[in-house]
Amino acid sequence: MSVNLTLVGQSLAEKLAGDSSDQCIQDNGAFCFNWIAENFSDRYVTPTLEHLYLVGFSVILGFLLAMGMAVLSHRQRWLVPPFIGVTGVLYTIPSVAFFFLLLPITGRGVDTALIALTAYNLQIIYRNIVAGLNNVPVGPKDAGRGMGMTARQMLWKVEFPLAVPEIVAGLRIATVSTVAIATLADFAGGGGLGSLIITGSNITFKTNILVVTVLAVGMAVIFDILFLLAQRRLTRWQTAGESRGGSKRFGAAMARSRAA
Amino acid sequence: MAGEAESNGAEALPVTYRDTTKRYPGSDNPAVDSLSLDVAAGEICVLVGPSGCGKTTAMRMVNRMVEITDGDILVGDRSVRDRTPFELRREIGYVIQQIGLFPHRTIGENIATVPRMLGWDQSRTTQRVDELISVIGLDPELRDRYPAQLSGGQQQRVGVARALAANPGVMLMDEPFGAVDPINRERLQNEFLRLQAEVKKTILFVTHDIDEAIKMGDRIAVLREGGKLAQYATPAELLMAPANSFVEDFVGADRALKRLALMRVSDVDLWEAPLAFVGQSTGEVRAKLEGAEVPHALLVDSDRKPLGWLSETDLRKDLVPEVPDSSPHPILDGSDVMRDALSDLLQAESQYAPVVDGHGRITGVLSIEIVQEFLSSDEATEDEHSASERPLGV
Repeated sequence: MSVNLTLVGQSLAEKLAGDSSDQCIQDNGAFCFNWIAENFSDRYVTPTLEHLYLVGFSVILGFLLAMGMAVLSHRQRWLVPPFIGVTGVLYTIPSVAFFFLLLPITGRGVDTALIALTAYNLQIIYRNIVAGLNNVPVGPKDAGRGMGMTARQMLWKVEFPLAVPEIVAGLRIATVSTVAIATLADFAGGGGLGSLIITGSNITFKTNILVVTVLAVGMAVIFDILFLLAQRRLTRWQTAGESRGGSKRFGAAMARSRAA
Repeated sequence: MAGEAESNGAEALPVTYRDTTKRYPGSDNPAVDSLSLDVAAGEICVLVGPSGCGKTTAMRMVNRMVEITDGDILVGDRSVRDRTPFELRREIGYVIQQIGLFPHRTIGENIATVPRMLGWDQSRTTQRVDELISVIGLDPELRDRYPAQLSGGQQQRVGVARALAANPGVMLMDEPFGAVDPINRERLQNEFLRLQAEVKKTILFVTHDIDEAIKMGDRIAVLREGGKLAQYATPAELLMAPANSFVEDFVGADRALKRLALMRVSDVDLWEAPLAFVGQSTGEVRAKLEGAEVPHALLVDSDRKPLGWLSETDLRKDLVPEVPDSSPHPILDGSDVMRDALSDLLQAESQYAPVVDGHGRITGVLSIEIVQEFLSSDEATEDEHSASERPLGV
């Protein structure tokens, strides 16, 4: 993939030298619309999809691992500090260094990038799950226990559902920051939007930088909105109380939010 | 309740503490010390005492939320120690001060919690939920709302309904009305007593409020620091004959007044009212007044319903007038609680009040003097025992 991109870089250089008809390119303008329209589908679609893959895969994997760790440490409370410690250390390794540290072990490629990105997500997601579980009010827990719920029923039917706001908040932060960090994944040979910047002369080409930036920021914003919607939907019980005081008001509020 | 029979509901079961002791590790003194109590099936036993007296611990050992250190507790004739905690808890209703409704589940889902764990089928669960929503007097529309959309009082009712869902034989209630404001608390207490008169569960009820204990309890266990039982008695016995100075202090200096809460107006000997009828000659009425306990004549209609008190001016006429000088209010009902009757008298700044039966007919007169005599008498014991049933439907 990166070889390909290098070729694209070369062809761009030729283009810059040869095609003098486009004054915008000649001047290295920040927004050369014609050039974008001509080159978008060839240059940007594949790296964008790669980027989506890096983010999606590492967030989902990080979430599953963090959930596993949370279930374990919920039963065995002593595991919480070591889990937070280990994921914290992973989180503090500078990303580029992390990629290079992994290269001798896992080699160049998407896998290496995914391992590093997933490791970063663990800390954020795990911490939020633990905080969410800790914040579950004592009343429902005591009532659940008193009604004969097993520890497992309590965890899956009471504690996790009530921790959803914090868990989703963790996923939002993890996803948005992964969109940013994944632009460095190409150092490990992982491709993504970063490959469009760190290769060849692209880094000095302003229009290119702008397009990559807009794509990355747009992706982060879209993910954020999707999570926000998911959170609203999953925690309707939480916002329901705001409309207390009669079905009429409740209905009106619903209608307003739909219209908005 | 109509659906009771088909819900395969458990019969109310007696609960027996046998030298039950709880000692927490690292603590020298037991939290509950060799407690022995018999709670009869279908009765409300209130565990009351100052904070740190072990009343909640004592209650929570029944469903093994707290493990017994020594001794035993029987629910029915089975030791709770022989039961698995989850199975045991699903057969015992549980209501707590924080209510503890699941905020992410609708009212209907909350009530269905235990039936679902017990594997009831959908239609039976739905039917039971609907039944309970009507039993607690909740608008059926609220069934699909979330707890946050309900008022505190409504949430508390749902908490009780949830505990009743699988029709347990025993209910544990830990300060169930503790978080509700005083006005709503009074209403919820009365509602609950009405409900209990229907469902007749065996209830262990924890409170720190002696007034609530007197109102709710068929029997009251007063616990003192260190989890020792100070007295176990009916509310009337507790007020009349505190076993020791601790109970006396805890019950309070106003226990004579509290006894009034246990009595109805019809439980005391009322005075006979000198009655007057419209058109009667005032001479006859004056003759009646001589030597009567009540120094005023009460005008009644042909159904003997009170119309008002006759004044001196009224009696100066030849015939008893149709409209008396002063109103008969307050008119008390025989089923009124004495405490409320006294407060009505005091509020109206009146010495006497006519007492009527269920049809509004005069049965006698209650005077402040009667109340005073009652409060100062110690030998009213028999009266009180017969009146020790709680004032239902206050």
